[in-house]
Amino acid sequence: MRSVYARIATGLALLTLAVVGRSAETPTPQAITVFAAASLADAVTELAARYERDTESPVRLSFASSSTLARQIENGAGADVFLSADEEWMAYLDERRLVAAGTWVRPIGNRLVMVAPTDRARAVELSKGFNLLAILGDGRLSTGDPAHVPAGRYAQQALRYFGVWETVERRLARAENVRAALALVERGEAPLGIVYATDARASKSVRVVAEFPAASHEPIRYSFATMSGSDRASVRELLAYFTSADGLTVFRAFGFETP
Amino acid sequence: MFTPDEWQALGLSLEVAARSVLVSLPFAIAVAWLLARRRFLGRTLLDAAFHLPLVLPPVVVGYFLLVIFGSRGPVGAWLNEQFGLRLVFTTAGAALATAVMSFPLVVRAIRLSIENIDPGLEAAARTLGARGWDRFFSITLPLTLPGILAGVIVAFSASLGEFGAVITFVSNIPGETRTLPLALYTAIQTPDGDAAALRIAALSVSLGLAGLLLSEWLARIVRRRLGP
Repeated sequence: MRSVYARIATGLALLTLAVVGRSAETPTPQAITVFAAASLADAVTELAARYERDTESPVRLSFASSSTLARQIENGAGADVFLSADEEWMAYLDERRLVAAGTWVRPIGNRLVMVAPTDRARAVELSKGFNLLAILGDGRLSTGDPAHVPAGRYAQQALRYFGVWETVERRLARAENVRAALALVERGEAPLGIVYATDARASKSVRVVAEFPAASHEPIRYSFATMSGSDRASVRELLAYFTSADGLTVFRAFGFETP
Repeated sequence: MFTPDEWQALGLSLEVAARSVLVSLPFAIAVAWLLARRRFLGRTLLDAAFHLPLVLPPVVVGYFLLVIFGSRGPVGAWLNEQFGLRLVFTTAGAALATAVMSFPLVVRAIRLSIENIDPGLEAAARTLGARGWDRFFSITLPLTLPGILAGVIVAFSASLGEFGAVITFVSNIPGETRTLPLALYTAIQTPDGDAAALRIAALSVSLGLAGLLLSEWLARIVRRRLGP
């Protein structure tokens, strides 16, 4: 009898090894993993598809807020390329020597806008101390969590510039990334939201009700870089493609600004 | 040792868990009794439906809640018009989400308890002239007490930790919906938030441990009271 149990136990152990071992393997050895800010989702998906078609080398994409991605990379997530919505999170990784030297570029920019659900959209006049609370009514202002999400940080700067941050700080709906903030406005749960111009453009359910002037917040410049340990030819090629004339044309088509 | 924000998250977690258990308990007892004692058409389907939150990803539950109870959802819009009750972004909404998630845990515990009651006791009460509700409150309910206690404690502890359904349905708002797991999640995202994350994690572990010890202790007392 004992030998039967021993055999079953060995079988189970082997089965476990097979299952676990399988998932630990990388699906394709040459796949390039790109971690990108949520606001880049549409543009980078399109670019990656084009790159895959042209070079036949697979690209894996992961979209979240730049903060989430940076923390994942810090904790050993296998990203080859990081596309951050601000410089701070790239600097955060650079301080920890996780960015491959000399690969950090800032090829595209964006603008900050206020959006409302399409059926309730009324233009908002931005001026110092404008009555944002009155426009919000009993609703909340949706944006990225200013504690870490770049879009939320820019929104905080812009609201400070107009002197209304203190009055709405407690009325924020803090989303975990800018697309989640956009979704709250799309669903009509929040009457107003602050997102990037490109996000507003990507959605039919929201309208831009105000554009924040460039002077009201730090310039929105995306940071692209290769991660240290991933500085191989194919990765460098992908990043070069994203920042090539062709790549920038795609970004422009999605509403991003290029110098 | 803990910042005001962390105390707030702890208080909010306890409040959300307490409210969710209070709201779901009467329904859970009714459903458990129905499933344990009645045979009716669609019983298996009902049983499966109430177990869904156990097997569905919490995000799915949160999404359904958002679609149904959101300010433009059929029930959410009605609640807002009739009673001015808003669920999205509010503590009440967080309690609803955790109640839905923990409902099957309570029902299971209570149902097992009811099924273990000797039907002879209820039959004896009937021969002595006790009517339906009288029988339920003087025989069935007291004998179900161990199951109710177990269910309440498990549900309470699980409610403290509910993440996916809460963040999907009511978002992550300090003072309203940012419970311990959401505060922990926020700390993980924040630069140099590791110390805060560790503190909140330690708090969660102590709470969980306290809950388990309490349930063990209560179970022992009840067993002694009810006898072998």
